[in-house]
Amino acid sequence: MESLEYLMKGFLVAFQWHNLLFAFVGVLIGTAVGVLPGIGPMSGVALLIPVSASLTAGMGPEEAAASSIILLAGIYYGAMYGGSTTSILLNTPGESSSVVTALDGYQMARQGRAGNALAIAAIGSFVAGVVSLIGLVLLAQPLSEMALMFGPAEYFSLMVLGLCAVSGLAGRSMTKALIMTVFGLLLGTIGVDNVSGVARFTFDQPVLYQGLEFLTVAVGLFALGEVFNTVLEGGGENEKAGKVGKVTLSRQDLKQSAAPIARGSLLGFFIGTLPGAGATMASFFSYITEKKWSKQPERFGKGAIEGVAGPESANNAASGGAMIPLLTLGIPGSGTTAILMGALIMYNVQPGPLLFEEHPYVAWGLIASMFIGNVMLLVLNYPLVKVFARIIDTPPKYLIPLIIAISIFGVYAVQVNLFDLIVLVVCGLLGYILARHDYPLAPVVLGLVLGPMIEYNMRRALTASDGDFSIFVEKPISLFFLLAALLWLTVPWLMKARGKRVVINEEA
Amino acid sequence: MNPAFDRWAALAFFAVGAAFVYGSLQLSHTAYGSQVGPDVFPMGLGAVLMLLDVRLLVDTFRLRPSGEKDAKGNQAHLRQFGALLLSVVVYIGLLETLGYVLSTFGFLLAGFQIMERGKWLSSVMIAAVFSIGVYGLFVGVLQGTLPGFPTWLTG
Repeated sequence: MESLEYLMKGFLVAFQWHNLLFAFVGVLIGTAVGVLPGIGPMSGVALLIPVSASLTAGMGPEEAAASSIILLAGIYYGAMYGGSTTSILLNTPGESSSVVTALDGYQMARQGRAGNALAIAAIGSFVAGVVSLIGLVLLAQPLSEMALMFGPAEYFSLMVLGLCAVSGLAGRSMTKALIMTVFGLLLGTIGVDNVSGVARFTFDQPVLYQGLEFLTVAVGLFALGEVFNTVLEGGGENEKAGKVGKVTLSRQDLKQSAAPIARGSLLGFFIGTLPGAGATMASFFSYITEKKWSKQPERFGKGAIEGVAGPESANNAASGGAMIPLLTLGIPGSGTTAILMGALIMYNVQPGPLLFEEHPYVAWGLIASMFIGNVMLLVLNYPLVKVFARIIDTPPKYLIPLIIAISIFGVYAVQVNLFDLIVLVVCGLLGYILARHDYPLAPVVLGLVLGPMIEYNMRRALTASDGDFSIFVEKPISLFFLLAALLWLTVPWLMKARGKRVVINEEA
Repeated sequence: MNPAFDRWAALAFFAVGAAFVYGSLQLSHTAYGSQVGPDVFPMGLGAVLMLLDVRLLVDTFRLRPSGEKDAKGNQAHLRQFGALLLSVVVYIGLLETLGYVLSTFGFLLAGFQIMERGKWLSSVMIAAVFSIGVYGLFVGVLQGTLPGFPTWLTG
């Protein structure tokens, strides 16, 4: 097994003391971010990119990329876990993937079993993390090898499929999601064209030659947008967190949860690998499955531990599964993975089939650190649940100006120019207004990150075919991807038209 | 959905799409060694964006508004937001003149007070610890670049 050998090398990377520290800090900050109202995984990761960039400034390019991505991925799954804490204690999910957790988790908290709910969430997340890690190790190599056979036409169609999948499931209106995707793609064309060297849409302003920096746009849309939302919607008032109680599990609890955790992990992993589906859908489906399979479905909604164990495992497994298309195909399936991908590109590491060949240090180091991160999450959360529960009480009076200051620091520290700060504030306002009217933001970032690559592959394919667009439907794999993209858009639309409820991803 | 907003948004994005199409027309149509110039991709996308906006516009007339809770941020929140936004703009404007520490300290102090009056001591403390701490860590330890203190202060 070649993969195993690489994985061992990956563990050597992940066990370097500074990478252990990065994983620890990432998980810690991530959990805090997940617990804090008003910042979700996306803004958390976006905010920490500049910080991790400056922390790793003294290292070689490979090590710096590995350490940063270890930190950022730690924030990602830490936040996934942290979000469940607020669901259980406050009935206010920190992010959309833990909405379902609130159904039974909050009921358990009201019955004085908050500790049990938090503990089973931690254990479920851990098991799910391990399951998705195994899946990643098994699938990474074969998938990359398959993707290596793709030419530009196949790549173009694959990325179109990725974008359509995300747009088809994002937000309430598909038209709006598609508008946002195209808008993001268009923003990505600003700057000097990579192929011909022509400046596009720059109005002869030198600051625009590099194009709009993805980091600035992401921090603006997500972090500032959410802050503005909190201020304007008067989310400033604090709710008091419920008492945690004893963090223990009875044998009965474990027995009831074992099967839901196993099912949730597998289900979540496979849903996570589908672009656009993501953690929210995974947790939702897991909850439905558990309720359907349960011998006493009437217990659900009244504090059934299975209703916490299943979805919590599923959403964590999905965030691991989402790494697969990102690492092997270079296609982010969600907003957060798009941001992770942008971070990798900042370090000149291009996610995709060549990642495992060109940067095994980064790829396998990340995979191994995800395992270590999951262990840390468990170790950290079990004793520290009460501490994290108190973070909820951070007064917004201090929190909101501090998040703004961190955003501005982060963007300025990396870009060192005022123009980006102006873009940041404009994106913040735009993010608030658009999100308030159900225009999903994740597709914008996805479009911005994927845009240059889609265009590059499209033009390479067209150059080879002498400008003939039929190349995209003549190649069978490419045609398959395009048809799948079409289905992804039409099926939810048809289902909506027939009056069926469609599970959508609010944000992931 | 809020049809009034969506109509305006559709028009605005339509204009964006049209602007990109117009901008693409000014670009070269070929690239060296290829018939496919830098104009094809943005022009196509601009056109798609315009089509999607027409669709959105049609939707706003077709679909009934879904009785959205029009919880317009009340006046107090709006004023609070305005003050905060103004202080952010002033902060960005003064960042390079006043230097990182002074402008950040000023912004945080103002921000804390805008969010909630009072508790001056802890406001001053947190603002000072953050601005000096970030500057010290980033510039002193990590060797990063941030605007230092103004020259009239350091002489």
